[in-house]
Order: sequence, then structure tokens, then C-alpha cells
Amino acid sequence: MKESALYVHIPFCDHKCIYCDFYSIITSDNIKPFLNSVKKEIKNYSSAYSSDRIFTSIYFGGGTPSLMEPGYLEEIIFFLKENYHVSDEAEITMETNPGTVNKEKLKSFRGSGINRISIGIQSFHDDELKFLTRIHDKNTAIETVHNAKQAGFENISVDLIFNLPGQTKQKWKNNLETAAQLPIKHLSAYSLILERGTILNKMVLDKKVIMQDDDHDADLYEMTIDFMEANGFHQYEVSNFALPGYECLHNNTYWSYRDYLSFGTSAHSFVDGKRWWNFSSLKRYISEIESNGSAAAGYEVISEEQKLNEYVMLALRSSGVRLEEFKNMFGDNWINKKYDYFVALKERNLVSIENNLLRLTKSGYALCDEILKDIL
Amino acid sequence: MLKIRNFCIIAHIDHGKSTIADCLLEKTGTVSQREAKSQVLDDLDLERERGITIKSHAIQMKYSAKDGESYILNLIDTPGHVDFSYEVSRSLAACEGALLVVDASQGVEAQTISNLYMAIDAGLEIIPVINKIDLPSAEINKIKGQITDLIGCDENEILLVSAKAKIGIDELLEAIVKRIPPPKGNPEAPLQALIFDSVFDSYRGAIAFIRLFNGTLKTNDKIKYFAIDKEIEAEEIGTLGLRKIKTDELSAGTVGYLISGIKNVHDIKVGDTVTHAKNGAKNPLPGYKEVKPMVYSGLYPTNSDDFEDLRDSLEKFRLNDSALVYQPETSAALGFGFRCGFLGLLHMEIVQERLLREYNQSIITTLPNVEYYVYNHKGEKIVVDNPAMMPQIGEIDHVEEPYVKAQIVCPSEYVGNIMKLGMDKRGVYKNTTYIDPTRADIQFEFPLSEIIFDFYDKLKSTTRGYASFDYEYIGYRESELTKLDILLNGEPVDALSMIVHRDKAYDWGRKVCNKLKDLIPRQMFEISIQAAIGSKVISKSVVKALRKNVLAKCYGGDITRKRKLLEKQKEGKKRMKQVGNVEIPQEAFLAVLQIDE
Repeated sequence: MKESALYVHIPFCDHKCIYCDFYSIITSDNIKPFLNSVKKEIKNYSSAYSSDRIFTSIYFGGGTPSLMEPGYLEEIIFFLKENYHVSDEAEITMETNPGTVNKEKLKSFRGSGINRISIGIQSFHDDELKFLTRIHDKNTAIETVHNAKQAGFENISVDLIFNLPGQTKQKWKNNLETAAQLPIKHLSAYSLILERGTILNKMVLDKKVIMQDDDHDADLYEMTIDFMEANGFHQYEVSNFALPGYECLHNNTYWSYRDYLSFGTSAHSFVDGKRWWNFSSLKRYISEIESNGSAAAGYEVISEEQKLNEYVMLALRSSGVRLEEFKNMFGDNWINKKYDYFVALKERNLVSIENNLLRLTKSGYALCDEILKDIL
Repeated sequence: MLKIRNFCIIAHIDHGKSTIADCLLEKTGTVSQREAKSQVLDDLDLERERGITIKSHAIQMKYSAKDGESYILNLIDTPGHVDFSYEVSRSLAACEGALLVVDASQGVEAQTISNLYMAIDAGLEIIPVINKIDLPSAEINKIKGQITDLIGCDENEILLVSAKAKIGIDELLEAIVKRIPPPKGNPEAPLQALIFDSVFDSYRGAIAFIRLFNGTLKTNDKIKYFAIDKEIEAEEIGTLGLRKIKTDELSAGTVGYLISGIKNVHDIKVGDTVTHAKNGAKNPLPGYKEVKPMVYSGLYPTNSDDFEDLRDSLEKFRLNDSALVYQPETSAALGFGFRCGFLGLLHMEIVQERLLREYNQSIITTLPNVEYYVYNHKGEKIVVDNPAMMPQIGEIDHVEEPYVKAQIVCPSEYVGNIMKLGMDKRGVYKNTTYIDPTRADIQFEFPLSEIIFDFYDKLKSTTRGYASFDYEYIGYRESELTKLDILLNGEPVDALSMIVHRDKAYDWGRKVCNKLKDLIPRQMFEISIQAAIGSKVISKSVVKALRKNVLAKCYGGDITRKRKLLEKQKEGKKRMKQVGNVEIPQEAFLAVLQIDE
């Protein structure tokens, strides 16, 4: 039985943050019709994928899934379990934003079967939160983590963003220190990305905001890795850190190139070497599901070369290329050709090659894309 | 033959040569107004855009003069830019007269003078014309003074014209008929026809433009070219209207075209003489001096795999531009490419741009340089047209570089600025004369290498665009020259080497190092940039190692997007050139061109 993952995209948000380029909508219209469509979509794919695989995780991303009533997500979970073979120990994650949930609501979410919570805190500094146009402040952020803990969530993750305009090393370090004192098991630390089409991008183009340079970014990044390691969190992906045993099962499915089936607006699925993605527009999604049963806007069949590239790209970003597995999948031609290059990287302490595992070091992670450019 | 007039128009760029030509064509009914896409003679896109005529053409007009006779007027077009002055001399050889066109507000410019002297040397009758007299800024009397001073004519010999407003065109046509002498020559004598230009047609092969001085040429005549001793047939002959007009016969004094089944345009040597295979002329007409490239540069395909493509394109290109010379060369940095010789910087730019536009060739050009004569201690002369081929310092006795005589015409208030520019460019000041009290004609001698980069731009900016400039080659002189190498991580990059004057080497070295520092992107290791003379490093800079390049977030499942981002980055990398372990962007190879002194 193949181990696979399930993803559900909930597009609703109460406002749009300046840096966000995910598909989200800020009206609550169509919440109910969306649920119906998602259920239809779940049902429709089940005939093809219910028998040959076991699903080890469910992930509610968004958008802000925690804006929904707990019963809403519960219904989806129930429906997923009814239509697919979901493992009993499945990791079920919900993304949430501070300010959208109180302790009671968190308890209800916990009661609906959700056992992992990922909290979009981004910063513990009020001025930074304001800049990012988040609705919460420092205290709400801290309180939300404690509430989650008290609501019965043992597996708590928080998201932070670094290299914000004007962010000093000290300020970032404060963020990390605050996070480390909270009852969390996992932390995602993302360097601020300037995405096209975001308000932030426009602000930068208009020179209202000045982004910090790459060297500062690198300093903050190295500091993050050192700090997290010192606090017992090991880095298992470019931007992700976990206490032992608390790596995100769901994200690891992506990174280790296993299959995932996704539902909802703009959701991407990858099953049996084929990838497809749904329409982003909520209305279009609903109408497509209602008329066709599927809302796929496009698809691609991954060629052998692309497969190899994607596998290497994802493995290097995360826990490394397992050479035996790689050779089984792609033969040893490629690896032999690149071997000298990897040895050169090893001499410069950018990769380590141990026990048939080729993985990036701390400074290697920072240069991941540069290395990929050279080898792919 | 008495009813034929062969003439050309000489003018400084933008003084209205093409507009006057169009006007004459229209007035004589050679083209209708509707046909007259403005500037009929310039048929290359690039010419139209830049407003310069690159290739000379010829066109025949029929004109009924006031004396009741009908005349045939052959207008032979000439290019206006200094780079193409050799083409001017070709055209002049085919004419008996020239219209000297001067802009009514700009006045006499450097090119007006140089082309005029060429025309006078060629024994042509000069008709001075002041154009654009309808402009509010026209200073007709002042310009008249400039012209009479220049050619010593009478003021009333100067025609006043506005080609745009169609003023004075009848008078101009009458003057052409009355003042330009008819061609001499004997239609019964053995054939002597001068090839003054040629073009390549993919269906017909090489087409020669000829001026018959003696004899008569008929279709299917057996002919020969003096330069290639082979009997061939005149497959098709004719005159040049807006299009080619086939005729059965061309005779002395006239201008026309000749197609003789020659596939390779280089077999047709411009300046060569055509005669009959039997009973032909004993001697060729005096040809004119061989075109010699003045500026050299390496042309390399951006993608090394496209070398053969580039070769094909250059070959095709040369069919229509005999001034371009090239030969294959290899660069450690850029791979296989060609060392190309150009008439000047404008010619180089035009070739590059046409290769890109018409042949779709993406190329990297190296820093242009002149041809140096290097003498070693044994007294041997080594010709160096590529700085990378410069012998080791220890072997060099002395180096010579080409010098030009330059003429700069500008309003007198800028004389001081020009003097300073002249000194900056290692110029040797010769003389200043005044065309009129407000206009100076300054003469300098310059090393050619100093004026091929940015001289013209500098000249324009230091005189607010008022100065004009022309030059001619005068010979080689010894100079304190040295090769400046650029090293990346200790490895010399041959394509970045240059030959500079010793006094400027330090300054150049520093500027190039700084410029490259900005142009070479940070890479996974530190890159040291050094400028060196021989083994002596004279300047350096550093590109610090790249510390971070990783996308923070791999979006929930959207691996396709991430992969495409990476593919895009990879494409960017492909466009870089690899030297040792350093990747160099294409712009870097031309960086030295953009360095501000």
C-alpha cells in the first residue's frame, strides 16, 4: 500500500495580508456551497484512489481554515475517512491564525479529530505585525499557543517570518527566543519572499519599503539554524525545524516525493507521476465541480527527466538524497556524473555524504538553489 | 550621351540628402507620391531608422528640361557617415557632378568638408545647395558665406532649396542639366565599365552596378572582369529605376546593372573593370583603394552550439557587405567565434544589429580594437588585431598604432572643450581655422584607438551636440602601448584583454576592476578580479561569495512552480560564459566600453 497524503484548501480569510500571494477571498459568501463542492470532489476521486493507498495525513491549509466552524472541518474529515483509507494514527493539521480562535473553539477543533496545529504568528513584535497587516498582537499570539496547548494540542507548530524590512539581528533573535519558551514542537522560519502581485511588492517597487540585502538575510538565517539547533530543534528542511519525532508528516510527503491528493480551490495533486491543479477562483471551482465533477485547471505528466529533477530538488531541500533509493529509482548514471561536483561541495562543507545519504549542511541549505542550478 | 548627367549628393548626416533625392524622384515622375515611402533610396530597415544610408544605390530619372530636351539623370547615392567614406569615393568615381547640400541652420560640418574635398579631388563639378531654407532658424546669408569661403564660388551659384516645402526643385534640376558636364567617352571604343557597387540577390546571384566609360555592352555579350580572368556572359543588363529595368544595351556614359551568373559576390570586386572577352580594352580603369577594416572585434555566439549558424549568417551577410572581413578564432573564455574587421564603430554596431535582427543571431562582442604593429627584438613585424595575441612584454621592442587626421567643426565657444577632449584622447593638436567668425575647424592627429570607443559621444556632449567630426587614416606611429590583462581568480580572461597606453593603464585597470565587480554576480565562492600588466598586478577588486540563494517556501504541493523557477534560473545560467569556475555575464565583455574616463 502506498503511503499518501490528503490536502484540503480552505480559501476564506478575513483580510489579505500584504505579503500573501495564496489564493484567498475575504467574503464569507459561498462557505456552504464550497463545502458541498469539496465533498463532491472528495467523493469523485475516491473511486480511483481509495483502494491502492493508505493516507497518513490530512492537512487543512488556506486561507484561514480556523475561520470555519469546527463542525465544518469535522464534516470534511468524516467524509474523507468515509471515502478513503485514512490511517488511524493519521496526522491531521489545521493552519490557524491568532485572533481567529479562542480556547473553546480550539477545543472543538481538537475534538473534531485535528491533532496538529500550525499557528501563523510571523512575529512577536507589534510593529512588525502591524507592518505585515496581521490582525493579532504579541499577546494574542502567545495566548493562542497556550490556549492550543490547553485545548489538548500536543503537536504545535508556529510560523515566523524573518528579514522583514528594518529587522535587526537582535529583533529577530527576540522572536526566536519568545517562540522557544512556548510549548511548541515545531517551527517554520521563512525568509520574507517578495511575490509578484502582492501589496508588498508594489510597495517595494514604489520605493516605499526597502528590502534588506542578501548578506543580512544570510546572517539571520544562520542565526536561526544555530539557535534552533541549540534548543533541540533539528533542521529537516530549508525553513523547518522540529523536536525529534515531530517533523511534519504531511510536508515530508511532498519532500520525499510521495503522492498527495488535494481538494478545494487552487489545490495541487500529485498521484502516480501526474500533477494537476484546480481552478483558483472559488466560483469557477464550484461551478466546475457541479458541472464536471472535477475542477482541474491544468495538469502535467512528469517526464523522467523532470522526475529526477524534482526528486533531487525536493530531497536536497529537506532531509537529503538517499542514494540507494535514488539509484533504485533513476539508476546510477546521473549520480556518477555529478559525483565529483558533490565531492567538491563536500570539501567546502556545503554537503555531507554519510551512510549513503547526501544532504546539505547549514551553509549548504542557504545555497540550495545555487547548487541545484549547477547540478540539474 | 550628351543628354546624360551622372551625379551624386554629398551632405552631412541629417542635412536632407535623402529628402532631396526623394524630391527629385517625385518631380521627375520616377516615383509617384504614393510610392514615395519617404526616403526611397534607403531600403534597409536599419537605414531608415538611423537615417543613414549604408549601401550606395543608383537610380535613373528622365527629365524634360526647359531647353525642350529630355535628359537622363543618374543619381548615385552616397552614405553620409565617416565609417563609409570609402563608399563615397566609389560613388564619386561614377559621377561628373555632385550636389553639395548644407543645412540652412546647421551650416558646414566636418563631413561636408571631407566629402567635398573628395569630390573636388575626383574632378567633379560642385553645385552648392542650401537646404531647409524655410526653417525659422535658417541663416541663409551666414551659410552662403561659409560655402563661398569653402569652395571659392560666387554667392549666386548657390541654390536655395527646401526639399520638404518643395522650394527650388525646378531650379535644382535645371542646374544639374546646365552645370554638370555630360559624360565623356566613346561608345565605339573597347568596353570599359567600372563596377562601383554590388549586391547579392538570392535568386540571381551577384548584381554589379556599373558605370560605362567607353564602349557598348549588349545582352549575351561575352565579357570578362579584369580581376578574374574568365569568360562569362552578360545574362541581363539594364538601367536602375525604382526597380531594375531590363534593356538590351548600355553604352558609354550611362549607369546600369549587370547580372552575369556569378554566384559569389566576392568574385565581383568593386572597383574592377568589365570589358569584352574578345577585342576588349587593354587596360582597366583606375580602381580605387582597397577597403581596409579599421576596427576589429571578436564576435562569439552566445550559445557555443550556434557557432556554425553564426558562420552561415556572416557568410550571407558578407555577400551584401564586402567591407566586413572575418576569420575564425578561438577564445578560452568564449569558445569558437570570429575576429571581424569593420570600417568603424558604427559599421560594427550595424553589423551586430543586423545579425540580430535579420539573422536572429545572439552574439557576444568583445572590446573593439585597432590593428597594431608589434616589432620584436629581431626586428620582425607582427600584426596584432586581437589583444590576446600580443607577444610577451620581454619579446617586444616597440609597438606602433594607426593614427588618423581628424577634423572637428564646431561653434567657436566650444574650442576650449575640444582642446581638453583632444588632450584626454592623446591628440596632437595641429591647427584651427575659422569657417566664419563663429565656426571653427580644428585639426588634430589622434591614435585611432582613442576615437573608436566613445569619442563621438564625448564630442557631442562636450559641445551640446554642435560639433561634427570626420577623420582619415594617416599611418602608423610608435606609441608606449602595453597589454592589460584581466584575471578572474588568477586566470587571465583572453576576451577581456586590451591594449592601452602606458599612462592610462592604471586608471583603466582600476575602472575595469570596479565595473566587473558590479557586473559579475556573486557566486558560491569569492572571485578576485585583477588587472595586470605582464605579471604585475596593478589593480584589483573582489566579488564576495554568495551566501544565500534558496527559496524559503516550497508552496504546498506546487512543485511545478518551483521546478519552473529553477528551470528559469538555469536558463539564465546558460547565458553566462564559464571561465575556469567563474561565470561571466555577457554584459561584462562589453563593460570596458561603457567605462567613463
